[in-house]
Amino acid sequence: MSDALLALALPATLLWPLLMLLRVPLLAALADRGRPAVLLDGLWCSAPLPALALALGVDKGTLALDWWLLGGHWTLDATRGPLLAVTTLLWLLAGVYARGYLSGEQDKAMAGDGAAEARLTRFALLWPLTLSGNLLLLVAEDIPSFYLGFAVMTFAAYGLVVHSATRDARTGGLAYLVMAVLGEGLILAGLLWGAGGIGTTTLGGLREGMLEASGGVWMGLLLWLGFGVKAGVVGLHLWLPLAHPVAPTPASAVLSGAMIKAGLVGWLATLPLGEPGAGEAFAWLGQVMLVAGLLAAIGAALYGVCQRHPKAVLAYSSVSQMGMITALVAMGLVAPSLWPALSMAVVLFAAHHALTKGALFLGVGIGEHPPRLPAWLLWTLLALPALSLTGALASGLATKWAFKAVLYEGDEKGVVTWLSVAAVGTTVLMARTLWCQWQGERQAREDGLAPLVAPMPLAWLATLLAALALPWWLGDGPVNHGWPPLAELPGLLWPLALGLAGSVAAWAAGRRHPLRLMRRLPPGDLWWPLARAWQASRRRVQAHLARLGRALEAWVAWWVAREHDAIKTLDGMTRGEGWLRCHAAVLMMGVAVGLALLLLLGTALMGPA
Amino acid sequence: MSGALILLATLGTSLLAAVMIFLLPERAFRARTGLNLGAALIKLGLVAWMVWGLSHGREYAVEFPVLEGLPFVLRADALGIMFAGLSSLLWLLTTVYAIGYLEDSPNRKRFFGFFSLCVASTLGISLAGNLFTLLVFYELLTLSTYPLVVHRGTSKALAAGKVYLRYTLVAGLGLMVGMVTLHVLAGDIRFGEREILAELGSGRQPLLVGLFWVLIAGFGVKAALVPLHGWLPRAMVAPAPVSALLHAVAVVKAGAFGIVRLVYDVYGIELSDSLGLLNGLVAVASVTILYGSLRALAQQELKPRLAYSTVSQVSYIVLGIGLFGPLGTIAALSHLLHQGLMKVTLFFCAGNYAEELGIHRIDELDGAGRRMPLTSMAFTVGALGMIGLPPVVGFLSKWYLGTGAIQAGMPWVIAVLVASSLLNAAYFLPILGRLWFRPGPDHGVGEWPEERRLGRLETHAWLLVPAVVTALFSLMAGMLAGMPFSPLEWATRVASAEYLP
Repeated sequence: MSDALLALALPATLLWPLLMLLRVPLLAALADRGRPAVLLDGLWCSAPLPALALALGVDKGTLALDWWLLGGHWTLDATRGPLLAVTTLLWLLAGVYARGYLSGEQDKAMAGDGAAEARLTRFALLWPLTLSGNLLLLVAEDIPSFYLGFAVMTFAAYGLVVHSATRDARTGGLAYLVMAVLGEGLILAGLLWGAGGIGTTTLGGLREGMLEASGGVWMGLLLWLGFGVKAGVVGLHLWLPLAHPVAPTPASAVLSGAMIKAGLVGWLATLPLGEPGAGEAFAWLGQVMLVAGLLAAIGAALYGVCQRHPKAVLAYSSVSQMGMITALVAMGLVAPSLWPALSMAVVLFAAHHALTKGALFLGVGIGEHPPRLPAWLLWTLLALPALSLTGALASGLATKWAFKAVLYEGDEKGVVTWLSVAAVGTTVLMARTLWCQWQGERQAREDGLAPLVAPMPLAWLATLLAALALPWWLGDGPVNHGWPPLAELPGLLWPLALGLAGSVAAWAAGRRHPLRLMRRLPPGDLWWPLARAWQASRRRVQAHLARLGRALEAWVAWWVAREHDAIKTLDGMTRGEGWLRCHAAVLMMGVAVGLALLLLLGTALMGPA
Repeated sequence: MSGALILLATLGTSLLAAVMIFLLPERAFRARTGLNLGAALIKLGLVAWMVWGLSHGREYAVEFPVLEGLPFVLRADALGIMFAGLSSLLWLLTTVYAIGYLEDSPNRKRFFGFFSLCVASTLGISLAGNLFTLLVFYELLTLSTYPLVVHRGTSKALAAGKVYLRYTLVAGLGLMVGMVTLHVLAGDIRFGEREILAELGSGRQPLLVGLFWVLIAGFGVKAALVPLHGWLPRAMVAPAPVSALLHAVAVVKAGAFGIVRLVYDVYGIELSDSLGLLNGLVAVASVTILYGSLRALAQQELKPRLAYSTVSQVSYIVLGIGLFGPLGTIAALSHLLHQGLMKVTLFFCAGNYAEELGIHRIDELDGAGRRMPLTSMAFTVGALGMIGLPPVVGFLSKWYLGTGAIQAGMPWVIAVLVASSLLNAAYFLPILGRLWFRPGPDHGVGEWPEERRLGRLETHAWLLVPAVVTALFSLMAGMLAGMPFSPLEWATRVASAEYLP
């Protein structure tokens, strides 16, 4: 596409969601009183459509806007293009799904429920806003635009998390917001330090300058941790399992599918990955990232298995998957020579996880409101994305082969083994998810079935199809390794087999001796002890502060007392003055007489002059 | 029109307006409103003309001797006109707001008279061409603000006024002593001729350092530097337009502007740096930033929270001054404008909540976003800007402060900035959460403390429009920062043209 056309198309795709946002209050204002408008209509769902068209139609292009912030610089390239395509597709389908998912609220609003109407309006406003932030950060190459997109997405998504306004939603929202603000702080520190030290306003400049800059590795660390909040790096992942279960299902899908990828985009854009001259310090950072990634990949699987809510299990699965991606990104620092090939595998992994996890989350809602499908077909369809995520088929298999092939070529067998162990964990998590869904679905079937040709099932099926068919439509760049040869299949599939066997064994054991452990491991793991510690330390600090405040008051009171003393002295002087005025004549006379006496005495003593 | 005439006309507009308002009877509401708005518009036009003229290389200066060797000098330089532009723009909006706010309240004549006088002094401060003139207007500002602070006449207001006078008059005394000493040392101190002090020789350096801190203490009272900030949160009893004026346009800004003049025009940035004064400034500013934010966090009422936020935010300007290098200067100068735009928005909104719904405490704000969407949008813009999120202008200030800190070789300042951002988020985000995400009286939960329906819109149009306009300015100044005549562009021009070799 020519640059001139792109100069129109790119801003237009970013503005379109904002127009949809502005349309919401307009519709609400035009609606008759007492009969609220239908806010989530077809046009509203089209918010990501222009961006999707752009992502599929344009491979490369840049756009410079001098008047925008500190100089706008937006670009599309081989990394951003596929991610933008997948992200927008997921947003589109989740938006359609939301129409069905929230139709219950729409009915309530129609029936005159003010709270439902307010919730619906808020959702209709914040959904396109979050989307526009996500789109901007994907195309931004200048730091301010990127930070803007990141911040808009992060803060607007808070409204999606707390949508239901229940107590759990508040907790989830609080965890989300606290971690997000911390992350923003770390990112800001990293970006400011980098931009100031290197003297650049673009992400590319930052990435290249970081190698030379003094303290570059600390910038890298700050940025890794800051974006890591979003990407669920171990220790910073607390918000994921708290926020995902409480958010409406379509919001969970985009949170887990699209938004946590923003962290990855941040890493790819700022860390000096694949630079041969990166030096020892960055290799160390890579090692730390690798260990953290593998720890998250395996630890989240172990903890997630103990969860009971399918969305909490899926959230831990996201932490685990992002841990694997973290480990792969870390290889860009540990073994820079692998990066050119590995980066494409990472993009494929991210795209695959985005759509597959989206399909899984949307599937949770489908399990709760099953459509008119035979049970066996429904369960096959629900199991397909789970199997794909474990790497057994379709996009999962292609992804797994893509990074394993690269790692084998680089002779990184250790990492491959650990990733395979993590894949066992994924299998167990998926089995657990399906089990949890199974329990919920039996209940739902008794309540009645939903029609198949409704937004929810259609959007879910479309997501599923897009996820499974990903290697065929995403383009050649990310899928350059094709399909694994038959001889490699056992090496790729043993984690699945092991995981399934383990799941069945655990299920059998659990049936006989139900585990108490599960009740003691709430979603959000470290959040709870940290929150308690925070409360305790806050009380202690407040007590200290109160003491300090009293000391300050005493100090001020002392000064006020001194001032009163001074005023009293002044008053005394005024009184003295008055007394002097009254007795002025007598005093003067006394003084005169005294002087005369002195004079006389002097003359008498000294004799005449 | 000649340069001198424009200058005098600009200053005279508000002085004349003040005199005429005092002459008009109390009940002449329309005449007073017309006079106020007319004067504000004329002044804005004149300042805009001077901005245009300055950018085309014209000069505006006027002077006449007061005593032998002590002239009264008015001169429009790029830095002064920047502050003048801010104060005239915000004066217009604050006047509109004040007219709406004080509708049907007593003593409006006194209020608007001193209001005009206050703005005239601010303009005098911005256009002053030497230290003496600056000081004259600075003291005039102190005196003309007092009646505004105690306007309500309650015992709390009178007490606040007393505290205000104590702080500012003592500070004025300090300034006077410092100025006289400088005058004895170096004669008339013109802005823009900063070699005078640099040529004094090393023997005088300890004296210069001492004088610097005396003068900083003098300006620091108005700029609310910790520990000289005590008057500011108490002055919150004043009516909302006065708070807006105090915090965004006149008093606090005058202090910060005084520090800018002191460092860049009296001492000169290089002398200040070589005397090691800048490090001290950075330290004071950092302490103030963090302390103000922490105290803001502890406030339960909206206006005191905003007041402590001002304590913290105005110190960004001082911090920027302390960072040696063009980026720090740009940060300081642009934040002078940015903070004004954002803070005035926040105070307008706080006033709107108080007037329309009787809300003073933060926990009463639940669900106010539904009742007053435009006000709450404006508040949200201001608050996000204070946190430093793009595209609001606050982000640009933070950006230049951060990069300036690196340039000045003080990377630890970034930690201060980030900590302050986190604290800002900690005390502003809960307010936004209450506004938008909590159910309130409009959702059928509880009721407003004292609801009045002031207009057909969500509140009185004269109250609503200024808040929305300043919020839009805060947004536009951020989004279109690369455009000519944006605050950032002008600050960059000042920094590169005047202060750098």
